[in-house]
Amino acid sequence: MSNNTLVDVKNLSVHFPVYGGVFSKRIATVKAVDGINFSIDRKQIVGMVGESGCGKTTVGRAMINILRHVAPGVEIGGSIEYHFGDEVVDFAKLSSSEVRKYRSRVQMIFQDPYASLNPRMTVAQIISEPLQLHTDMNNKEQTERVGWLLNKVGLQPEQAKRYPHEFSGGQRQRVGIARALATNPDLIICDEPVSALDVSIQAQVINLMLDLQEEFDVSYLFIAHDLSVVEHISDKIAVMYLGDMAEYGNAQDVYHHPRHPYSKALLSAVPLPDPSRKNRKRIVLQGDVPTPLNKPSGCAFRTRCPIAQPSCAESKPEFKEQAKDHFVACPLVEDN
Amino acid sequence: MESKNMSEQQEISLSILKKRWLKFKTLRRGYYSFIIILTLYILSWFLPILINNRALVVSYEGDLYFPVFSGYHAGSVFHQDVPGEAVYRELKAEWKQADSENWLIMPPYPYSPYEDITVQGNKMFEEPSSTHWLGTDNTGRDVFSRLCYAFNISISFALILSTLNYFIGILIGGSMGYFGGKFDLIFQRLIEIWSSLPMLFVIIIISSIIRPTFFLLIFIYTIVNWIGMTYLMRAEFYREKSKDYVAAALSMGQTNFKVMFKHILPNSLVPVITYFPFSVVGGITALVSLDYLGFGMPPPTPSWGQMLDVGLSNIPKWWMVFAPVSAQFVTLIMVVFIGEAVREAFDPKVYSRLR
Ligand SMILES: Nc1ncnc2c1ncn2[C@@H]1O[C@H](COP(=O)(O)OP(=O)(O)O)[C@@H](O)[C@H]1O
Ligand code: SF4
Ligand SMILES: [Mg+2]
Repeated sequence: MSNNTLVDVKNLSVHFPVYGGVFSKRIATVKAVDGINFSIDRKQIVGMVGESGCGKTTVGRAMINILRHVAPGVEIGGSIEYHFGDEVVDFAKLSSSEVRKYRSRVQMIFQDPYASLNPRMTVAQIISEPLQLHTDMNNKEQTERVGWLLNKVGLQPEQAKRYPHEFSGGQRQRVGIARALATNPDLIICDEPVSALDVSIQAQVINLMLDLQEEFDVSYLFIAHDLSVVEHISDKIAVMYLGDMAEYGNAQDVYHHPRHPYSKALLSAVPLPDPSRKNRKRIVLQGDVPTPLNKPSGCAFRTRCPIAQPSCAESKPEFKEQAKDHFVACPLVEDN
Repeated sequence: MESKNMSEQQEISLSILKKRWLKFKTLRRGYYSFIIILTLYILSWFLPILINNRALVVSYEGDLYFPVFSGYHAGSVFHQDVPGEAVYRELKAEWKQADSENWLIMPPYPYSPYEDITVQGNKMFEEPSSTHWLGTDNTGRDVFSRLCYAFNISISFALILSTLNYFIGILIGGSMGYFGGKFDLIFQRLIEIWSSLPMLFVIIIISSIIRPTFFLLIFIYTIVNWIGMTYLMRAEFYREKSKDYVAAALSMGQTNFKVMFKHILPNSLVPVITYFPFSVVGGITALVSLDYLGFGMPPPTPSWGQMLDVGLSNIPKWWMVFAPVSAQFVTLIMVVFIGEAVREAFDPKVYSRLR
C-alpha cells in the first residue's frame, strides 16, 4: 500500500438476506459481493467492469455507505478504509450518523440521469443541497458556486432555475456531475454514468469527466459494463464476475494481457479495430450468468469457463498477485 | 412569434405542482365545482349572520342590541309578551305596523335551525313557501336553515377526518415504507388484525355507550380509516426510497427526516392529492349514514342523515326527502367532479389532454 492510497477495500462482502413465508423467515442469501480486494490511489481512475448483476452497483453503494438505508438487513463484511489526511475511516463499519461528517468526501454519479435528480427540485436546489449540508456558505455564495459549477460542466448558470424534466439526459447527467463535485470530494463513484445516454454524447460526457478529474484532483471509481469504455480512461481495471473479483491490475496489463478466462472472453467481445489484435479469436461464453442466490461452488465462473477443470469446483480460487500489481483469481493461468 | 417564445419561456420553469394547477383550471367542470364548493364552504362559516332567528341589530328605546353576537335576550327586554326568548321576526312586524321608533335588522333568512314549534308561529310539516323555502320538519324547524348548517358540519367533518387520516397515514405509512424491516413488519401485522375488526359494529357500540360529539366521531372514524391512507403511503415511500435521488440525498448526508419529508413526500403527493376529494366524499357519506342510523351527532344538531331519517318515515312530506337527498347529491357530485379533474390534471399521459 502506497502513501498515496485513498481507499483500501479489503475482503468486502455484501450479503442481502431474502425473507419469505408466513413468518418472514430468512430463506436465502443474495451474495451480491463476496469478498473482494482492491484499492484506489489519489487522483487515480479505477475502472470496474462486469456483466449486469455482478455486483458493481452494490460495491459502489457500499463505498458510500448507503446500503443499510436501502436494505436494512444487509450484512456487510470486510473493510473499506478511507485515508482522509491522517485519519483512517472504515466506511464498512461506521453507523450512518458517524459517517455523516465524511459524506462530503465521497460522492456518487448515478446510472439513470432521470431517477437521480429529484423531479420536484430545481437544479439550483439540487446542487446547493450538499453545499447547505457541508459548508457554511450563505445563499448568495451558494448561488455563485452553483453558477460556477454549472459553467464547469458545460451548462449555463441561468439554467439553475429550471427543473430536471426540462433537460436532456446528457444535460441531467451534467447536473449530477456538478452535484457530485459541489463539495470537492476525494472520490467519486461513477456508476455507469454514460450507459443510459445516447451513444453520440457518451464521448462528450466522458471527456468532460476526464477534464474535471484533472481540475478537481479527484479519484474515480468508474463502473461500466464493457471494457472499451474503461480501457482508455482508467489507470487500473477491475473485472468482476458474480460478486467476485476475477482480475485487477494496471489498465494496460489487463487490457492487453488479460489472464483470467473471463477477462479474455470480455475482451474478445470488444469491437475495436485494433490491428495488433486482428487475428484474435472471439470467445463466446456458453450459458447464462448463474444467480447470486445460488452461486456455483468453488470458482463461480466454472459453469461457463472454457478451460474449467474438476478441481475448480473444490475451493474458491485465491486472488493472487500473479505478476507485479496484477491480481488474478484463477490458479490455472498462473504459469502463462 | 415573439410572444409565443415568451410564454414558452415562462411556462418552462414552473414546478410540476404549478403546472398541474394550471391544467386543473382548464378542466372547467371540476374547476367550477371547486370554486362553488369553496365559496359555499367559506360562506357557511358566516351562517350565524346569514341564516338566524336572532336579529343582527336591535335599536330599542335608544339602546342598541346585537342578539346574534350577545345571545339570549328575553322577550320582556323588548316588552314583548312571549315566554322565554324574544321572537325578533314578530317584533319587527309589530314595530313596523305601529310605526314605532324602534327598529331591528334581521339576517337575510330569519329562521334558525334549532327553533321548533315551541316558538310562536312555527308549525309542523309546513310545505315549502316563500317564508320557509324548503318547508318545516316534524318539530317545526326550518328545513332550509338546517340544510345549510348541516352542509358546514358535513364538509368540516369530512375535511378534518381526511386531514387527520392523511397525517397519520403519511407518518406511519411513510415510516413503514421508508424504514422497512421490523418496524414495517410489526405494523403490517397490527393493521391486518385491526382491519379484520367489524368496524361499523365497533362504532355503533361506542356511540351507544358514550354520547357522540363532533370530535368523538372524528376520533372514532379516524381509528377506523387510517389504514387505507397508511397502506397507500407505505407503497409510495417504498417505491420512492429505492430511487437514486434518495440515494443521492443520503450520500450527501441528509437526515432520514429530511429525506422523508423534503425529498420523498413531494414526490408521493400525486396519490395524496388525487385521492383527497374521494376521501372527502367518504367522510361526508360516513357521517350521513351514522346520523341516519341514529348513532351520529346528538340531536338537535342539524344533519342530513337525521333529516333523511325523518323524511323516509314521512314519505308524503316530500320536501323532507327531497331536501337532504338533493343537497347530498349536489355536494357529492361536485366533490367527485373536483376529484376527477384533479386526477386528470395529475395524469401524465398525453392523450388525456386530447379530450
Ligand atoms: N437491495 C437488494 N436486495 C436484494 N438483492 C439485491 C439488492 N440490491 C442488489 N441486489 C442483488 O445483488 C446483485 C448485484 O446487483 P448490482 O450490484 O445492482 O449489479 P450491477 O450493478 O453489477 O448490475 C443482483 O443479483 C441484485 O439482484
Ligand atoms: S478457476 Fe477454473 S473455472 Fe475458474 S476461471 Fe480458472 S479455470 Fe476457469
Ligand atoms: Mg448497476
